[in-house]
Amino acid sequence: MDFSIRAANLEDCKDIARMIMELAEYEKVSEHVKVTQKDLEQDGFSKNPFFHGIVAEVPEAQRTKDGHVKIGYALYFLSYSSWKGRCVYMEDLYVMPEFRGKGIGKALMSKVAQLGMAAGCTQLNFTVLDWNKASLDFYAAQGCSDVTASLGYHVMRCEGAERGEAWPNTIEDRQ
Amino acid sequence: MDFKIRAAKQEDCKEISRMIIELAVFEKMQDQLKISTQELERNGFCSNPRFECQVAEVSEEHKSSQGYTVVGFVLYYYTYSTWMGPTVCMEDLYVMPEYRGKGIGKGLMSKVAQVGKEKECTRLQLTVLDWNTRSLDFYIMKGARDMTASEGWLALRFDGEALDKLAAEAPKD
Repeated sequence: MDFSIRAANLEDCKDIARMIMELAEYEKVSEHVKVTQKDLEQDGFSKNPFFHGIVAEVPEAQRTKDGHVKIGYALYFLSYSSWKGRCVYMEDLYVMPEFRGKGIGKALMSKVAQLGMAAGCTQLNFTVLDWNKASLDFYAAQGCSDVTASLGYHVMRCEGAERGEAWPNTIEDRQ
Repeated sequence: MDFKIRAAKQEDCKEISRMIIELAVFEKMQDQLKISTQELERNGFCSNPRFECQVAEVSEEHKSSQGYTVVGFVLYYYTYSTWMGPTVCMEDLYVMPEYRGKGIGKGLMSKVAQVGKEKECTRLQLTVLDWNTRSLDFYIMKGARDMTASEGWLALRFDGEALDKLAAEAPKD
């Protein structure tokens, strides 16, 4: 199957928002998604973007039954390790189910790795849910390591309030 | 004990480097440390910084036995959640052992939360080693959830040869 991988642009945000919801439904967390198409446009395509995106596109002849030609995406950003320096973090990697098994996911991830290395990064980091065996097997087959299993890293999170609302000025001790 | 939390300046990189090494030794991973003071300066104090840093400073009369007044730091950067939007990620939080238990760690973490608020961040994320129960307890007390334990999130990584190989397989433009 022919496909192309290219940098995302503002007009892609509608399809990226659609695919974010599809991925969230797959991860059983769609009620957690607060980011809208408009948020993506502002956050990803302003002067100081929070993220970068790449999309996978197929020709019109292979569009989905709903008419989509943008059938996969990856969102990533540059991060930092105080030990290793510049890193790239892949926030999302998604290919619509009917387009899997054709090398598109690997092409998207390889592109993120290539772009990261071009920016001086020496690590590509991301997270996966432990029950998501298909994804874990896919990533392991590409040669990644599970630093939760091997080194004991736990991901910790403090959630704030909704965007634009009050966020604690201080981190208070829980009673 | 009085202390001040302030934004790091380029001149602080030498002290920040020293404390990064102290933290790496504590985490038993000092062999993983590859970057220098110069790289910190280059990456943190350029026109497009890769991270931000706050330091904790005490007065001269409370300086350490080796004469240090910069006794803690927090290094962080901004990331993105496709569910929640802008996020602040705390890469390192460290207070020299003899200055712990005085609210300095909490002060540094609160500063990151405050800075995050100004950038409309809705989440603060970090990683902790599972054997580091003292730090795990500290963060849980401050309201953090262990997403690995509660929801099964695993941290995966490509580096070294695996990263080189993956990048080499990227489709041509």
